[in-house]
Amino acid sequence: MFTTVLIANRGEIALRVLRTCREMGVRTVVAHSTVDRDSPAVRLADESIQIGPAAPRRSYLNAAALIAAARQSGAEAIHPGYGFLSESAEFAEICQAHGITLIGPAPAVIARLGDKVSAREFAAEAGLPLLPGGDGPAAGVGEAARTAAAVGYPVVLKAAAGGGGRAMTVVHDPGDLARAYAATRREAVVLFGDARVYVEKYLDAARHVEVQILADAHGQVLHLGARDCSVQRRRQKLIEETPPPGLPAAAVERLGELSVRAAHAAGYTGAGTFEYVVDEHGACYFIEVNCRLQVEHPITEMVTGIDLVREQLLVAAGGRLSLRQEEVAAGGAAIECRLNAEDPARGFLPTPGVVEEFVPPGGPFTRVDTHAVAGTRITADYDPLLAKVSVWAPTRAEALARADRALEECTIRGQGVRTNVAFLREVLAHPLFRYAKHTTALVEQMRATPIT
Amino acid sequence: MTADTTTPPPPAVPPPVPDERAQVLDWVVGQAARLGSAGRAPLRRITVSTATLAVDVQWSCPPEPPAAGEEPPAAGHSAEEGDRGREGAVLVTAPMVGTFYRAREPGAPPFVQVGDLVEAGQQVGVIEAMKLMNAVQAERAGRVSEIVAEDGAPVQYEDPLLALAPCDSH
Repeated sequence: MFTTVLIANRGEIALRVLRTCREMGVRTVVAHSTVDRDSPAVRLADESIQIGPAAPRRSYLNAAALIAAARQSGAEAIHPGYGFLSESAEFAEICQAHGITLIGPAPAVIARLGDKVSAREFAAEAGLPLLPGGDGPAAGVGEAARTAAAVGYPVVLKAAAGGGGRAMTVVHDPGDLARAYAATRREAVVLFGDARVYVEKYLDAARHVEVQILADAHGQVLHLGARDCSVQRRRQKLIEETPPPGLPAAAVERLGELSVRAAHAAGYTGAGTFEYVVDEHGACYFIEVNCRLQVEHPITEMVTGIDLVREQLLVAAGGRLSLRQEEVAAGGAAIECRLNAEDPARGFLPTPGVVEEFVPPGGPFTRVDTHAVAGTRITADYDPLLAKVSVWAPTRAEALARADRALEECTIRGQGVRTNVAFLREVLAHPLFRYAKHTTALVEQMRATPIT
Repeated sequence: MTADTTTPPPPAVPPPVPDERAQVLDWVVGQAARLGSAGRAPLRRITVSTATLAVDVQWSCPPEPPAAGEEPPAAGHSAEEGDRGREGAVLVTAPMVGTFYRAREPGAPPFVQVGDLVEAGQQVGVIEAMKLMNAVQAERAGRVSEIVAEDGAPVQYEDPLLALAPCDSH
């Protein structure tokens, strides 16, 4: 096992990783920006290194600074958390060149699965069900239009190098295609430095279901069930739950087996997630692989009792996963709600400010992953995630009641700071959500026809 | 430096042109003197070197403690922590995390020593990060009053590297 791990991230995920390291007797070094110097992760770490100013490009995205920090502190490994450099094949290569283990899959695996076009090619080879679409990036607007006409509208234009719902445009009408194609390309260049865009069939009303996998370098790959992440705003998740309600256990098992087979074929190691959409007829289609730990991993941990960060560390250090597929026993239901500093009334715009009062919920089977305390400054430099409130219960109905109770207890106040707590409770109470009839369109439907 | 007209030149080398050299030197010294008198503080030293012509002009820099209630001048990078205990000094801080070196290479003379005057933009050190050598420059002029970071020491972003006594005279 590693002696020292550098945590190259901030906020709740830095704390999350730090806690498991500490439980495993691994020394932690937190790399942080100037504005995070008083954060709880820095306070709890064995060592901290200030790597740059608030702007991510000069701190959390600065590969040179992170490598220098790892070398200074004697860290043998870097845990990238999620976001920032967690899925950068280039950073993984740089780490490798410096003899530092990046906790995640090998650089070549990240490169292949991180690019949406090559991931699609890989998925086709691995026998994963694919949404109809182009074989590769569209060579121009003409080819994009021909592909769109062949698969049928609506279609979605996606940046090949994209992620996080960015540089994606849904096109319902052929007349809008040319403009959308040009705009998506521009956005793709600005965000990812890569103009390649491809065309795929868009499902208006779909469920977003993903499979958590774990793999070691000794040929063992297992899945830990699936999560439903259909409650999204601006294509970013708000509420996730496991098991996916309304999806037959046999379908979940089939997605699990497909994902395990594909991960095996890709030579995947570490924790990862295979994402799918499920249409109204129950047909599942692969969309992408996330080569990292995900924000919503706590609910899988709650139903399986498996510490995903611990498994990541074991595998990265060359060890074996601590259990086999037949030992994975998921039970009950878990729901995670993301509490963001944002204003649902103004299009979920982030609301920077200072958290003056923060009272997190407690109680049975209630887990709060947060870095927020009274005095925490929410800056416009980072995402507005304040806390993740996850609950577990034997049944979904009980988990829903527990999640609502937990949110009700939660107090977050501060000058200028708005939160989505009330909105999350509205979602939990919404009939479509309660009866598991919702899709990724739920939030838009709620905004269009609010229930009074 | 003076033009030497007494020693006969070696036969293979054409003789120098004393008048022309003397004229150039007079002109350079004159320009240096003008440059020296341009500063508001008393002139401390003028050094003129030939071969690759260089003129180094230094003015005296009497320490001027800041007036009561006046903020000490800020360094280019905020350095509030490092300022403590160095009242009146401007700190040159690390622009990145890495290893600080005082000289271009091992054995080479350091970029600056205590007592040296530095100009804004002058290189005062190097920070190595990921095998890349990054120049550290003073953002303001001043006299080096303290070398804070050790040569070859690991430094973090914003760590103080050296202190400059502010010099507002030029």
